Amino acid sequence: MPEWLLILFRSAGLFIIALILTRLLGKRQTSRLTFFDLITGIVIGVIVATISLGLVNLTYGLVALVIWTAFPALIYLLSIKSKIVRDIIQGKETVLINHGKVLEDKLMEALYTPEDLLSQLRKKDVFNFADVEFAVLEPTGDVSVLLKKDSQPLTPKTIDLKVGRESVPQTVMMDGVIMDEPLAAMGLNRGWLHTELEKAGVAPENVFIAQVDSAGQLYLDLFDDAIQVPKPKTKDLLLATLKKCQADCELYALGTKSPEAKKMYGQSSQILAEVIADLEPYMKR
Amino acid sequence: MTISGQVKQTVASLNGIQATLDAIISIEQNKKERQLLEQNRAKIESVIKNLEKRISKLEFEEPQYKGF
Repeated sequence: MPEWLLILFRSAGLFIIALILTRLLGKRQTSRLTFFDLITGIVIGVIVATISLGLVNLTYGLVALVIWTAFPALIYLLSIKSKIVRDIIQGKETVLINHGKVLEDKLMEALYTPEDLLSQLRKKDVFNFADVEFAVLEPTGDVSVLLKKDSQPLTPKTIDLKVGRESVPQTVMMDGVIMDEPLAAMGLNRGWLHTELEKAGVAPENVFIAQVDSAGQLYLDLFDDAIQVPKPKTKDLLLATLKKCQADCELYALGTKSPEAKKMYGQSSQILAEVIADLEPYMKR
Repeated sequence: MTISGQVKQTVASLNGIQATLDAIISIEQNKKERQLLEQNRAKIESVIKNLEKRISKLEFEEPQYKGF
């Protein structure tokens, strides 16, 4: 048999073997490789390459290949079971910045120069190290950063803003075809949908996507993008009317001369104000 | 417009809000949200009752403005 045919068969066989063996190693993501994972990967690759090129004896090579896949697989299994093994194999995270102060000795331990630290912080969009409350070097070599409270992005929680619960809208029409199942799940039917479409002034066959949110408001996208679809305004209108009624009550309270009626109007206005505060996050979704 | 007419208008607006809330409640899937809506519906109901009481008093004092 000529040499090239030998290499062809060996390579094809090894390709399949390598594929199966690497599958056995599990589904660890390549982005989360530790240094040890990297070495294992390189060694397996080199062994496969040398065997397929015929640089080493086939049996010797295969033995090495099996060892280099069996051992890591074994160690991964062990590391799932035991924390100590895990710490040895995958390494522990190193705290680089704690309470806003850079820990120089830990930096030395991780063989990190100040430039490395700064560049890693910049990758996390942190250009000012004074903004960092806590930073950790993960076993994979990434730096995870917790910003100081006053530098963190604004969330509704930080400004004490009440927000409505996000609800998953149901898609009730696709490509002009009505989907009965999601409609039924919302407790609605085709008749309702046709009424809503008529209200919006849209022909059913012109609808590309239609979604219903939990309050029964219909959102449409049409094939004909020149047509402007009216946005559902029910909730906005409701809130506006409510605010008007509250203002009315206040006005009556100011206008009346009867102390009894004044009290009643004041109370009503207060109750309506409570209702507005309650409903506002729900209505402004 | 007379005061009784204005109050009647407010009551009518509130009744409209009630109706819209009812429509939303009947569709709303989430239990918690529905509870919130029902609570607020009851609050508005109490306001309507108060205002209606006031209207009957106003009509008693000034019978010439009775009705719409």
